[in-house]
Amino acid sequence: MNAKEVTTLIKDYVDEIKTVKDEYLFATTDKQRYREAMLALKTQDVQHIFTITGVDQGKTVEVIYHFDCRPVLLNLKISLPKNELRIPTITDIFPGAILYERELMEMFGVKVEGHPDPRRLFLPEDWPDGEYPLRKEWRERKK
Amino acid sequence: MTFVVPVGPQHPALKEPEFFKFEVKGEEIVDVDIRFGYAHKGIEEALQRRDYKHDVYLVERICGICNVVHTTTYCQAVEKLAGVEPPERAKYIRVIILELERIHSHLLWFGIAAHQIGFNTLFMLAWRDRERVMDLRELISGNRVTSATNTIGGVRRDVKPEQVSTILRGLDELERSAEYYIDLFSSDRTILARCTDVGVLTKDDARKFCAVGPLARASGVDTDVRSDHPYAVYDKLSFKVITEREGDVWAKSIVRLREILESIRIVRQAIKEMPIGPIRTKVNIEIPRNETIERAEAPRGELFYYALSNGTERPERVRVRTPTYANFASIKRMFVGGTVAEIPIVMWSIDPCFTCNDRVSLVDSRTGKTFTLSLEELRKWRL
Repeated sequence: MNAKEVTTLIKDYVDEIKTVKDEYLFATTDKQRYREAMLALKTQDVQHIFTITGVDQGKTVEVIYHFDCRPVLLNLKISLPKNELRIPTITDIFPGAILYERELMEMFGVKVEGHPDPRRLFLPEDWPDGEYPLRKEWRERKK
Repeated sequence: MTFVVPVGPQHPALKEPEFFKFEVKGEEIVDVDIRFGYAHKGIEEALQRRDYKHDVYLVERICGICNVVHTTTYCQAVEKLAGVEPPERAKYIRVIILELERIHSHLLWFGIAAHQIGFNTLFMLAWRDRERVMDLRELISGNRVTSATNTIGGVRRDVKPEQVSTILRGLDELERSAEYYIDLFSSDRTILARCTDVGVLTKDDARKFCAVGPLARASGVDTDVRSDHPYAVYDKLSFKVITEREGDVWAKSIVRLREILESIRIVRQAIKEMPIGPIRTKVNIEIPRNETIERAEAPRGELFYYALSNGTERPERVRVRTPTYANFASIKRMFVGGTVAEIPIVMWSIDPCFTCNDRVSLVDSRTGKTFTLSLEELRKWRL
């Protein structure tokens, strides 16, 4: 799909879409609609998810899902407030996201609900609970 | 009744330790579980604490084998954030050094793959040829492994006209060797017996679990960032995306070997078509708030970066997704249904940044007793 086709496909499920050079898109959505956007992508045979990125934006944690819509690349963003860090899993739609969701959980403390295997991925077994190394608070404390 | 065969995490033979728990029923593998993180260095966090220029040296050390592709992807991402374009000549030099890296990485892989199936002469031959690439890399960059070629806005060292004949001669030798290896891998009975129909990843599974690189291409998925989203000057060079249909260890080997030939073609074209000019643009590293994603085709597959700038000299966030990480989601499919004897070669067939067969502990799940196999015993088992 090209940038225009992707925009038409997901425009009902996202707030704003920023297109960069017709090569990639950044779109913002929310917890209510992101699954619908993903299911719409799935109907167009989008299967490849590059990864999931977490970004600490101060009061919120931004979760970015990066998809390959061949040739255009889509970055779907969801902002989660830090007092409500939970999001349902997408592994039922994109099984390839299984490890990325585990990393999101341990590095940012985002609880991925319904994940089939919610263990830690990279952090050691004796890592204290509630310590999320990619959060800004953690960085401030460890300076 | 099933036994658990833990493989790892101590692997002094190669650099990255991981832990694999194989559940076996007799000889057959029924389940596999992975435990990561034994060498987790916290680089994503460290990248946010340093400035953009300092980070070039840090991303270069994410992977010892494919360091150029990491710096290329990172520098391209920062160049995009800052809105600068490196000079043409710098892009050609990046392609040359990237493709030499691919040749070296594939030959390294190939040698160890031969060793895993008990073909040590071939291991020696492959690593002898790898030395030729290492010499070329040293000639161009001054270093055998960590090339320190890339910088934000271009490259640090030029390819000099007097080096060209040595490079071309080296490529001719490599081409002869690669053709010989392809011939050997297509005809030798022992190799065929060890590699065909082993560790199969179907095309559907490769797509479903988002496999990347030679692993996906060996299963018939036509994916290569160099042609899907050309970066540097790949859009000006002609090369084929190598795919095979079988998805077994043999297909993964042949894809990599044939890619060596394509890489040689790319380097030859790049040397011939490289324009004369500057190799570096100056970049102000106080980059205003912006975000971007960047991809490149590493020897092991697609490498992915996300970068977010915040107006200072330090990035707000850099996310790195390496190809081996992407390929682990599909690993179960390749092992389950196979036998213990296939573990080393199937594991190596994804070309992970480690190997896992120098020590194996066996645990009797009924009594809880643990006993250890040496590498020699493991080798005996698989013969």
